[in-house]
Amino acid sequence: MSARVYSMPMLSRTLPIARNAFREAVRDRVLYNLIIFALLLIAGAIFLGALSAGQEAKIIVDLGLSSILLFGVFIAIFVGVGLVYKEIERRTLYAILSKPVGRGEFLLGKYLGLCLTLLVNVLIMGVGLSLALVLVKRGFDPLVIRIWPAILLIYVELTILTGVALLFSSFSSPALSALLTFFVFTIGHFSADLKTLAQAMAGAPARWLFSGLYYLLPNLASYNIITPSAHGVLPDARPVILAIVYGLIYVCVLLAATTLIFRRRNLK
Amino acid sequence: MKKDYLLVLIILVGLSAAALVTHWSDAQPRNTAAQFAEEPLYLNGAAMKRLTLAFNGVASDWYWIRSLQYVGRKIVTFEDSHDGRFNLNDLSVLDLRALPALLRMSTTLDPQFMEPYYYGAVILPDIDPAAAISLLHQGIAANPNQWRLYQHLGYIYWQRRDYEKASEVYAAGARLPGAPLWMTAISARMKAEGGSRGAAREMYRHLREVSNDEAVKDMVAKQITRLDSLDERDLISDALREYGAVSGRCASSWREVASTLRARGLRSDSSGAPLDPTGTPYRLTKNGCEVDLDEKSAVPKS
Repeated sequence: MSARVYSMPMLSRTLPIARNAFREAVRDRVLYNLIIFALLLIAGAIFLGALSAGQEAKIIVDLGLSSILLFGVFIAIFVGVGLVYKEIERRTLYAILSKPVGRGEFLLGKYLGLCLTLLVNVLIMGVGLSLALVLVKRGFDPLVIRIWPAILLIYVELTILTGVALLFSSFSSPALSALLTFFVFTIGHFSADLKTLAQAMAGAPARWLFSGLYYLLPNLASYNIITPSAHGVLPDARPVILAIVYGLIYVCVLLAATTLIFRRRNLK
Repeated sequence: MKKDYLLVLIILVGLSAAALVTHWSDAQPRNTAAQFAEEPLYLNGAAMKRLTLAFNGVASDWYWIRSLQYVGRKIVTFEDSHDGRFNLNDLSVLDLRALPALLRMSTTLDPQFMEPYYYGAVILPDIDPAAAISLLHQGIAANPNQWRLYQHLGYIYWQRRDYEKASEVYAAGARLPGAPLWMTAISARMKAEGGSRGAAREMYRHLREVSNDEAVKDMVAKQITRLDSLDERDLISDALREYGAVSGRCASSWREVASTLRARGLRSDSSGAPLDPTGTPYRLTKNGCEVDLDEKSAVPKS
């Protein structure tokens, strides 16, 4: 399987970049956040039982899934905005681009590397959360399985956010990129309000503007199933599949736009 | 090296000074925490839900814990100023004015979170019955298949002596999938004899069966004790009346009716005084013509 993959020219150039981006993230101690996550869960499991009147499992799921999202958002934003910038700053980008590697392939490699970092991060946190639930429930509970669709959707949301961070970092400074990505994350969770606002507008131009924003900005609210998951509610398969398909399409669009901008960027 | 010692010294002295200032500040006579606890919430639930983005679950949990701590802190403050005496059956003395808003915030942020509804149904009727009913209606609107919400709403109407409404709510809850059969029975009982002691006993029994909250179970247990005591006092009153009819006067001591009371299955102490469900002897009142709880009795008065 891997021989066949490496026989494909583009992947053979992209995957080493991805692997390198992952190694770099690990070297930069990005995964240290797992320690904070573990401490948070242990503290939650020990103290919340006494404070929440028997609601410790729900609170641990809320706390755990929200932490997975929050840590993931921080990694996606702060590592994502530095992916290209650091390579330019350290001038390693020139060495890479002097080889037969296209700018698009470089970006794709970097993107996949960070997605791999996020995947490892999210998987370890998810397993940690499941173990915390086993501990709190003193054995297996269906909730241990039922949190995983929410974890999957959080991961898809993070891949979109990484794409957004990469897009902004392709033409602006890391600080501004981080700020803009955070705005997109915030507005992405307000998408239902954008639609309502568009419907409430009297003038046609304002209606088009808000409708346009609603359809153009990523609809991140559909990735939030943390609350029902904490009650052990399994989501219907259809919205989950639709959200994944939407995420894939949106990531393709973001990577294409990033490549388009980055190709035109004067690196001299 | 010398500089290192100096820095370590600065850190140690600084931390000690900070701890001293905190200690001194805590000792100052002010009650900021209590003042802030009573402040109304600045944001309504809908606005808060938007602001919390994807973290509404955690925010809901936080408001739930804050609600519990708010009540707990009020009980501690009350007990501190009233020699440790607090009766869970009279929550109105606690002045829990911020509780309805806190519970509403928690349930607006997470409408499927059932515990705040159940907690509100038991605690709020003493403080703000309209808020309790409104919270339960909000819960039913968000969770139309949860029969326990109907049970709690029926309980509130029953407490307000609105037996017709209580019966309707129980009947509506009984039609839901998974609702126990007794919901139908209690609906009928509410209609026929809502104010009876038997209906009350049944209500409390079912409430105790479905509740996970120890405080609620404790409150229900005390109410059942009160009902048991009322039944016993009826028996004792009958015995005292019969004694009066036969002897032409009221009993001067329990010894005079002790054998009758024992024959009716009542427990008594060595002096022949009947014991209430908590083991405290009843006392004779109105020159031996009537019976009442002793002042030291743990049986709730209401």
